[in-house]
Amino acid sequence: MSSALFGALIIAVGAAASLTGIVVVVLGLVGHRPNWWRESRGLVWIMFAMALLAIVWMERALINRDFTIEFVAHNGSHQTSAIFNVATLWSALEGSILLWSFILTGYVAAVVVKFRDKRDDPMMAWVLLTLFVVCAFFFLLMVGPANPFRSFDPPPGFDGPGPNPLLQAHILMAFHPPILYLGYVGFTVPFAFAIGALVTGRVGEGWLLATRRWTVIAWGLLTLGIVLGAWWSYETLGWGGYWAWDAVENASILPWLTGTAFIHSVMVQERRGMLRVWNLSLVIATFSLTILGTFITRSGVIESVHAFSESGIGPALLGFFAAIVIVSLGLIAWRGDQLRSPGRIDSPLSREGAFLANNVVFAAFAFVVLLGTVFPLIVEAANDDRISVGNPYFDRMTMPIGFVLLFLMAVAPVLPWRKASSGVLADRLIWPAWIGAGAMVVSLLVGARGWAPTLAFGLGGFAGGAALRQVVLATRRQGLRGLVGRTNGGMIVHFGVVLIAVAFAASNAYVRQDTFLLEEGQTASFSGHEFTYEGVDFREYPNRVERRVAIRIDDTQVYEPGTAFYPFVGRSFGIASVRSTALQDIALRVESFPVDDDGLATGEVVIRVTVQPLIAWLWVGGGIMALGTLLAVVPGNRRNPIMPVGAPLPETATPDGRVEELV
Amino acid sequence: MSGDGTPESTPLRAAWIVVPVAVVMVLFIALLATRDTGDAGFASFSLEGQVAPAIVGTTIDDQPFDLDDFRGRFVVLNFFQTTCIPCVQEHPELVSFQNDYAPSGFATVVSVAFDDRPSNLRDFFDRFGGDWPVLASDTGSIIVDYGVPLVPESIVIAPNGEVIKKLRGGIGQNDLEFVIAEWQEANA
Repeated sequence: MSSALFGALIIAVGAAASLTGIVVVVLGLVGHRPNWWRESRGLVWIMFAMALLAIVWMERALINRDFTIEFVAHNGSHQTSAIFNVATLWSALEGSILLWSFILTGYVAAVVVKFRDKRDDPMMAWVLLTLFVVCAFFFLLMVGPANPFRSFDPPPGFDGPGPNPLLQAHILMAFHPPILYLGYVGFTVPFAFAIGALVTGRVGEGWLLATRRWTVIAWGLLTLGIVLGAWWSYETLGWGGYWAWDAVENASILPWLTGTAFIHSVMVQERRGMLRVWNLSLVIATFSLTILGTFITRSGVIESVHAFSESGIGPALLGFFAAIVIVSLGLIAWRGDQLRSPGRIDSPLSREGAFLANNVVFAAFAFVVLLGTVFPLIVEAANDDRISVGNPYFDRMTMPIGFVLLFLMAVAPVLPWRKASSGVLADRLIWPAWIGAGAMVVSLLVGARGWAPTLAFGLGGFAGGAALRQVVLATRRQGLRGLVGRTNGGMIVHFGVVLIAVAFAASNAYVRQDTFLLEEGQTASFSGHEFTYEGVDFREYPNRVERRVAIRIDDTQVYEPGTAFYPFVGRSFGIASVRSTALQDIALRVESFPVDDDGLATGEVVIRVTVQPLIAWLWVGGGIMALGTLLAVVPGNRRNPIMPVGAPLPETATPDGRVEELV
Repeated sequence: MSGDGTPESTPLRAAWIVVPVAVVMVLFIALLATRDTGDAGFASFSLEGQVAPAIVGTTIDDQPFDLDDFRGRFVVLNFFQTTCIPCVQEHPELVSFQNDYAPSGFATVVSVAFDDRPSNLRDFFDRFGGDWPVLASDTGSIIVDYGVPLVPESIVIAPNGEVIKKLRGGIGQNDLEFVIAEWQEANA
């Protein structure tokens, strides 16, 4: 049997298992036979085993350069280094879908294990049914339009082109896509529980809380994936950019925004039993946005720098998105009134009021991004014009939103539930306010100019101060336990956000950039630094020729930006080089090598220098957000909440009690 | 999906929120479903056999340019960048093609620069030769119209204004001659 055929067989078995799972669960539900859906977990394990086997089979083919598989012939190469051979799996569509399916079946298996005590519950039947449907969709994609195991008949001596050179350029590419997918796919679990809760009408029973931890983990991984993607583009492109509001970047930020709104507003439901339908909608929106984002990425409807990922699976993804929307909206229309809680928010000046404001702002943020992303399509449909919505739109629209979010991040953590008196508020906000004012003064003293970045630093200090206050109070009471749990972990996440916000404001407001034509030995001065061109060096690798330029910065270290020519691809790509310090990054990039009349190199080089402050704190902030997420999922001292949260209200005891049973 | 009603619960039937959301979603999905897919991608090039999209502009020598003025001869629309090595490598082939076919009015090269400054471009042509229209400003819309994701790419346009073929990567004079001969044979 050829290896392509064996691979296709694995996928076919996985697809059959998922389809059988759908039938078994449906028959079990129709006939009220819990043992039917209980036993469907065997099918989950078959799906998981097949997806794992398919991954192993594909990696084996990539590592052995088994060109009888078309995917390997198109994306693999003898010239690719070992680590990128493994990463080649997610450098093209079919492998990405395979990775997605593997992660998905892994999550489904984890659900089966985690909720094994609940397996007779009809709610679990609906959860499993939803998960089987999503799995079946991805397995069928691999049977049909995104088949990773198409066979290929390689001519003698055949060698593939290797993965897209841009993706081989940096080690971060080995981590960014899998982590992003872990986040994306993780939202399938809360979505399945949302559908289960809507169908069974049992929304008050803490299912949301049961999956809260899953959502938080998925959210943390998505956050990390997005930050790694930004870091990758910064390190690879070398023009100081890390976020360009590109359609594909927007596709990853959209579910992040709705997911962020959800993990805040779910706390209102937990505490006060309110916002149930809204929370369901947010979970559903988050999952549908992951599918919509994949559609935008893969169908090519929108012009994007990520064009390498285009393919013919667009119609299938759009159909799936439509089905999710129809089913979800239908269920909400059917059950919405029944699920609504009678509770009302007593005062806007309360924790729940702040969460509500947070949700409105995040929803507005998501709407702004979605509108900017699809606006070119709307215009094209209306009058056949091609336009592109650029950074100015996104910058202008998102800046005020960012300020409001920073302000809320400062005020909300100190607000008590139900109602705050102004005295309490003033008392709790005094130190954060001083820290914010101090941050503003310090930033002005070190040379910050312009109202927007200064305001961002002030609000950043304010929000950071509020987070610090919480963590200090908690650790003073509880020692190291004051660092874990939802509230404290959440405050550490807030620290990360503040760092990113400050670094974002500073690096965008105070970027300095220029290009220089240098002869060998010549030095250029720019922004307080000296750049000496010390020579050029050719390096030959199996798959590329690099032309590296030695630039000495400030008579100390040498940095080597350059270009890499990939003969197989027939294109050359820039190699950036970045000097990163805590306060300032210097990114170097070669713009061109001038040549004389005969086409010979003149020995000169044109380099572009980009100097930006505080860039490194973007990545540190991302790391702290991931760390905070991890601390937040460690069970904290929930029975005895510390002061800023306030004592639990009597009416919340019941849902809280049920949570403890479920989790 | 971000606009599903308001978070605050009011005594309002869920359907009143769901119906408008559903209408918006139906329109949105219909919009996505009816868009051309992949026309900027590697997979398909939808322009072949169609009339070339109009190009009106100014060359780097400040001459007015209109693609329609070139009806009656073959046009090789070359998308390039001065810093791209394959572009530099193919340039002598374009010069040779131009020398062979432009004087008789049979064909001409037109270059569209990707993201380059006019001064760089003038240097480039001073050094490597080549005397044909070069478009540098506002080339973004041309690049989108012709669906060019990366350079170099050359698009061969027939005397009747029809797009014959898109050639990706660096090309040789013989590639262009082959494409032109094939078209002449088919349309003889």
